[in-house]
Amino acid sequence: MTHIEELESKLDQNFVAIRYNVEIEGPAIRPENDLDVRNILPTEEPYKSIALAVLYGDMDASLSNVNDGLEAGLSPVDIINNGLMKGMDAVSLLYTKGFYFLPDLMLSGDSMMEGVRVCEKILGHKSETKGTTVSFVAEGDPHDIGKNLVVMFLRANGYDAIDLGRDVPTTEVIDAVEKYKPLFMTGTALMTTTMTVFPKVVEELQKKGLEVPAFGCGGGSVRKDFVESFPMSVYGVEAYHAPKLADSILKDKKTWKELRKEYSEIVGEFVSEYA
Amino acid sequence: MKRFTRMIYKNPEELIFGHAKFPVSERWNIQFGAGYVVPEVKVAPQEGSEASKEKMVAECRNIAQSACKRAVSIGLPSFMLEQEHVFQQTNNPEWAAECTQIQAEILERYYDEYGISVALRQTPADIRVEERAPGLRGSDYDNKIEETMEACAANGASDLCIETMGGKSASDYGISRGDIKAVLFGIGVLGSIDMEYMWKRIVNICRRYDCRPGGDTDCAQANTAMFMAGGLLDKDIAHTTAALARAMAAARSLVAVECGAIGPLKDCGYENPIVKAISGVPIATEGKNAVCAHSDLMGNLTAAMTDVWSNESVYHRQEMGGTTPEVWLQATGYEAALMNTAIQTGTGETLRDIYTLTDKYRDPQGLILAYDNAYRIGEAIVNYGNDPYLRARAAALEAGKIINEAVDAGKLYLTRFERDSLDNALKILEELPMDSDQFTDECLRTYTRKVPEFDPKSYEL
Repeated sequence: MTHIEELESKLDQNFVAIRYNVEIEGPAIRPENDLDVRNILPTEEPYKSIALAVLYGDMDASLSNVNDGLEAGLSPVDIINNGLMKGMDAVSLLYTKGFYFLPDLMLSGDSMMEGVRVCEKILGHKSETKGTTVSFVAEGDPHDIGKNLVVMFLRANGYDAIDLGRDVPTTEVIDAVEKYKPLFMTGTALMTTTMTVFPKVVEELQKKGLEVPAFGCGGGSVRKDFVESFPMSVYGVEAYHAPKLADSILKDKKTWKELRKEYSEIVGEFVSEYA
Repeated sequence: MKRFTRMIYKNPEELIFGHAKFPVSERWNIQFGAGYVVPEVKVAPQEGSEASKEKMVAECRNIAQSACKRAVSIGLPSFMLEQEHVFQQTNNPEWAAECTQIQAEILERYYDEYGISVALRQTPADIRVEERAPGLRGSDYDNKIEETMEACAANGASDLCIETMGGKSASDYGISRGDIKAVLFGIGVLGSIDMEYMWKRIVNICRRYDCRPGGDTDCAQANTAMFMAGGLLDKDIAHTTAALARAMAAARSLVAVECGAIGPLKDCGYENPIVKAISGVPIATEGKNAVCAHSDLMGNLTAAMTDVWSNESVYHRQEMGGTTPEVWLQATGYEAALMNTAIQTGTGETLRDIYTLTDKYRDPQGLILAYDNAYRIGEAIVNYGNDPYLRARAAALEAGKIINEAVDAGKLYLTRFERDSLDNALKILEELPMDSDQFTDECLRTYTRKVPEFDPKSYEL
């Protein structure tokens, strides 16, 4: 017996570490059998199959269902609203419940977006969305996984999320605001010294007389106190909070000042940074 | 370039903090892996300091000055100061030169005055952007990194590190979608190719100066998986997926050593225990004294094999106990003192094993890095040592085996998500081709289509 094996034999594992995640997870059920999901999913075909393909993150099935629907003469708008988006609504719900995880969400998002693209091709224009948002990674910062998640969450929730990419010069951000007039903008950064782009963006917007209802700033080293040191901004804690913030701007006409005050309430959970 | 096809360590029991088969000496009378653990402190320049060269130089000076002052105030025999560059430092080599110079002057002054052993690590940022032509190779950003490396070496850095980003486009795609093949391609194949490109140049620069080539870390990929996996209750990435990514990362980070890096390897490379077991180079690690930067699930375990104990990173600001360079050097300094006391009193093995057992079954990510298991993954890697793809695949398969053994023994429990993700990943990994060209061809076909940022030309593919 080695030294470590000898020591290990004396140790009660739960005395030092408990895997709470294993303790709390309930029994497995099929996602479409979740009661709340049942209320969301369409019951009539082919919308049901279209929604289920999204629910299962099956891009091939999603594409083939959408093409079948189009061939059968369904309107692309109905396919998007009654099939693809319903599937994605169910996915978002399961993620919020802790039943689905990020990979499920990403694959479902891909499946939905592929379907939407096919429909938009037929429509000849972009489908109707809740509104336009703009997302970018600060100039000098190549870390973009957080921004990618934000964009995916916004798209999954029905927004036309314009993705400006990473290491984006401030002038490009300003041009995008001028062009798209977004109802919500997000900026992400990993480093303390790239997050300083955010107040510069606001300054440039103000110089041009431009405004966004709220500018969500977040990422690795970004701090709430820093973000709240300049106007128009809201400190964003989790990527999945982005659509909830956007919804509150859209539906309740919340301002960036109100988002700061009511953040936890708006995203519907305890957020220690806002406690 | 000679690849590792056998283990330098012959027995996992030999792996212990403060000792490496190939210790490293740097100027200012400091050794790494030579029988004692060196504490490290690293502090991120505060916002606003990037506005001008003068401000950044003053910031770096203040960080170094604070650290030195606290080191002698609490009686540390040695310490390492690391400056991880922000974008502006690497993008302006003259900034890097002056920042390095002022920090070197301060360290040297304390070395002369007190005899304290010190080291200055400079880590330029990998500022390259793959999707912007000409990609990772030969761009202005790429050239700036090289110039900055040289500026640091010429102005007093005692060693150089970097966190290369090669393969990140593919691995980010894979990590966020649970696509283990993309993760393997990003880390094992693309990451290894890019490391070779970058590290041959860094080693050449170091040869021209009194400066050591330290090492790389898979921060951009395996740490992305670890951070997204998060705590036990987070629901983004399965912790088993993050564990497999970590095992692959060892095969990738080893490339720096194969190109001539001699350590200490960079602190946030949680894969470093595996690389040390294979290559015998000293390593920096981080855990419980890096809580200022992030949360991991192995705060003690990572100390078991360390040679340089780091705080990872912290804002430059004031805490109740002083400025952050002072406070966090004190934290890593006292932990190193504990380890050094254990070494001197002949109780090092006991402390190592206690560190290990504290976290061994907290999470699959810690389990595979426990020194006995890190050694097993090292063996899997050297069995296929000449092939970066096959050795990364072998590392992941061995990590999966280690996790399954612990589960079967009733020592580690997995959630359904972790279980399903692991089963799915192992099935895919087992069915992959044994020919790396075939694997690369398959991946090129798939991921050039699926990942818009991925540019095969950046890897000469």
